[in-house]
Amino acid sequence: MADIEKIAKIAVEKAVSLGAEYADCRYVELENESLSFSNGSPESVNSSLDKGFGVRVIKNGAWGFFGSSLLTENEAVRAAEKAVEIGKASASIVQAPVTLTPVDSHKEDFVSGFKTDPFKIDLKDKLGFLENLDNLMARNEALNTRDSHIDFRKTISFLLTSGGTVVNQKIIHSGVGIELGISKSRRERATRSFPQNGGQYETKGYELLSEIDFSDAIPRLTDEVMALLEAPQCPSLETNLLLEGSVVGLVIHELIGHPLELDRVFGSERNFSGTSFATTDQLDKLQYGSSIINAVSDPTHPYGLGSFGFDDEGVKSSSVDLIKDGILTGYLSSRETANRIDRKSSGAMRGDSWGNIPLVRMTNINLLAGDKSFDELLASAGDGIYMSTISSWSPSDDRSSFEFGCEIAWEIKDGKLGQVYKNPTFSGRSVDFWNSVTAMGNESMWKVWGTPNCGKGQPGQNARTGQGASPILVSNVKVGG
Amino acid sequence: MIDKKILEIFGDAIKKSSAGQTELVCESEEFYLTRFAENSIHQNMGRSDSTIWCRAIFDKRIGIARSNDSSAEGVANLIKAASAIAQNQNDDPDFVSLVKSAGDIKSGGFYKKTLQFPASERAAAVADIVSRAKAKELSCAGTFQTAATSLAVANSLGTSRFAENSEYRFTLTVSGENGRSGWAQTAGRDVGKFDYKSESQRAIDKALVPGEPVKLEAGQYTVIIEPDAVANFLLFLAFLGFGGKTLHQHRSFMSGKIGEKITGDNITISEDPFDPAIEYLPFDYEGVSKRKVEIIKNGIAGEGVYNSYYANLAGTQSTGHALPPDNSYGPYPKAMTIDGGQHTVDEMIESTKSGIYITRFWYLNFLNPMKTMVTGYTRDGTFLIEDGKITGPIVDMRVQQSMLEAFGNAEMISSERRLIPQYGAFMLVPFMKINNFNLSVA
Repeated sequence: MADIEKIAKIAVEKAVSLGAEYADCRYVELENESLSFSNGSPESVNSSLDKGFGVRVIKNGAWGFFGSSLLTENEAVRAAEKAVEIGKASASIVQAPVTLTPVDSHKEDFVSGFKTDPFKIDLKDKLGFLENLDNLMARNEALNTRDSHIDFRKTISFLLTSGGTVVNQKIIHSGVGIELGISKSRRERATRSFPQNGGQYETKGYELLSEIDFSDAIPRLTDEVMALLEAPQCPSLETNLLLEGSVVGLVIHELIGHPLELDRVFGSERNFSGTSFATTDQLDKLQYGSSIINAVSDPTHPYGLGSFGFDDEGVKSSSVDLIKDGILTGYLSSRETANRIDRKSSGAMRGDSWGNIPLVRMTNINLLAGDKSFDELLASAGDGIYMSTISSWSPSDDRSSFEFGCEIAWEIKDGKLGQVYKNPTFSGRSVDFWNSVTAMGNESMWKVWGTPNCGKGQPGQNARTGQGASPILVSNVKVGG
Repeated sequence: MIDKKILEIFGDAIKKSSAGQTELVCESEEFYLTRFAENSIHQNMGRSDSTIWCRAIFDKRIGIARSNDSSAEGVANLIKAASAIAQNQNDDPDFVSLVKSAGDIKSGGFYKKTLQFPASERAAAVADIVSRAKAKELSCAGTFQTAATSLAVANSLGTSRFAENSEYRFTLTVSGENGRSGWAQTAGRDVGKFDYKSESQRAIDKALVPGEPVKLEAGQYTVIIEPDAVANFLLFLAFLGFGGKTLHQHRSFMSGKIGEKITGDNITISEDPFDPAIEYLPFDYEGVSKRKVEIIKNGIAGEGVYNSYYANLAGTQSTGHALPPDNSYGPYPKAMTIDGGQHTVDEMIESTKSGIYITRFWYLNFLNPMKTMVTGYTRDGTFLIEDGKITGPIVDMRVQQSMLEAFGNAEMISSERRLIPQYGAFMLVPFMKINNFNLSVA
């Protein structure tokens, strides 16, 4: 194996010798394994290993970056030269030189928590797990689409900065999910997924698979698929809306996480992901949500998919307030963006591989739990709609408005669940939505939902994030179908 | 970027493989992207990488592994990894064989100038655009990307093919006061032919359309949509239903409707890798030569695109549209065209008493895939048309529309077409004037 530390040192020293004001080198090794099962047979078993390094510099007050998968000392020199050359080109068109907020240097190792390394489990055992899930789904012969998958990722990274930081990290992710359904005709299908659409992902080892109770869920989901086949469209009305926790997770992701990425607020994503309604002149002023809304960025959470020890600029992970008692109090930030509002970096710079520049990304964006049981939430709703499991999402480019679709909904009548509805949607304005939250589920229903496919940036990057949530009750929401 | 010598490494490694059939694929890239926002370059990067896939097959058991180590040792290890997976797999009864593709194949679409285009020239173009926008008190954000790719495919049946491609891509958002903005996007193979001044001027002109954006009510409108918006719909249609896998699984809106009319008579959609504007790689990730496919002809569902696996299931031949071995989408078109019509954009506007001009859609997502129903937003250049003239900007609106119905309601199609890149696809598409288009308040 190549001497990564030596390669990184050569690259950083070369960049500094070429006049870079700042340089870092990040090596990343990503090992992935994904298996899927469909209608009684293994569909795919994929395994991949990807490694390389990226050199990031500030030259003449502007950023340059070059990454390579060739792990040699000569390539380290070439990458440093390329990064400096690119930085010089950037400097020809910058409005103000890049400045970074100060950060402590660290020489530490971080290993995420896991009990069983999934890469040490036999392939046959993994396929056996999926076959068992398929058998559970096959108990009802009416189901004619049965899909299940498991995914594992090991990330080994090494960061060396010209500021003296040297950080080694090893992080393991596991994911699992099922989707079952019935095709009634070529034009009509009903499906349900579990634990959420696309599955649940956590910073855990193989033990995640046994922690999720599929045998309890599958009969219930089967009944729901049967009910959806006969269900009417969700009616269009303005009503009390109760959202299941995983739905809240994605709503947090789209309507709190993305709008509070400080690079986005400053316009860095204007050409692609968009901007943000939560501009910095509203910091510590904007009534983002009702007084029971408290949200934090917390990469220290033990199993959230957005957990790590250090971000990709070497900032040590910590919990940072984003919304306190309903007021906007903070942002997800980097050393560069935080400096523009005279704050410390929140430690949210993350690159999806060695070959991409770190961007401000979500970590675990956690909406702190409320105090209501599910029955109390239903009782508080009185009459309304309950929706479960996101199936579609479409926020506006500044995240000020949205439309979400779910797999299933139920009428709430006199505080009790009734009629099933298909194709439910809800839409509205983000700030109005969060200010209309009247009650939240308690700790027993709270969990960090993993999103393994958050897109941002050009070239596109795919971040893994977490969203801590319990069910919420929202008043006067426009629903439809 | 890796050159043709990789085929020698592949040939040696395949000879030593213990698998019944072995396939090796290498996609290599030299990629540069200059990104700017707030009238500054804020991200500027380069990357050199190669991805290698191995498919090892023992009878009907298939193992797939991927890495980015292109050394002889790395390739040998990859074959071992894929073989270990295959030996633990169950049979795939539908798998027949890898494909033998005879002879090398000529590759178009590679321009050395694009590969060697320096960061300083990308920055110089950005500086010129920013300077023209700033003079009008506008703010620019965008990307200027240059890249070259090589694809090598070899297998134990004798396939041994190599091709190179280059591309540039350019996107620009220009923002003015009160939420006014404009967008331009283009792409091509030869950066020497890229006229950034005229492309960027389109976005600048849109951001300068005077007036406060007005808010319209929900309703059905006559709309004129630019090629960017047409391409947004086309890419989603392709995802939903142009591939052999979605057809086989009856998840495509074309399933059971081949030969039937599914949209307007004036709509012809093809997959055409050889269109001179597109110049796509001449073979796919199985080494199979690509061919033109008429997917929808005069509104009638034609044929989908296939790789060897789904072609066997459908009783047809591969059309040369395999994606990398570890993808889950099945075959997919990446070089699509929509035939142009007879009209000019000016004729479309002049013939519209009341309507909306849309530059592009944003964040489309499915509401009902079988009905091709999507939701999303308009973005970066949405204008009111009154009495045959654009009269000012409007506040962006939510789209809730069946895409096939929209194409079915296309009253006019432009003769002008633009090359629009989205994700891995190049699409050559016209403007359309569409009636009864559903828009609501965002």
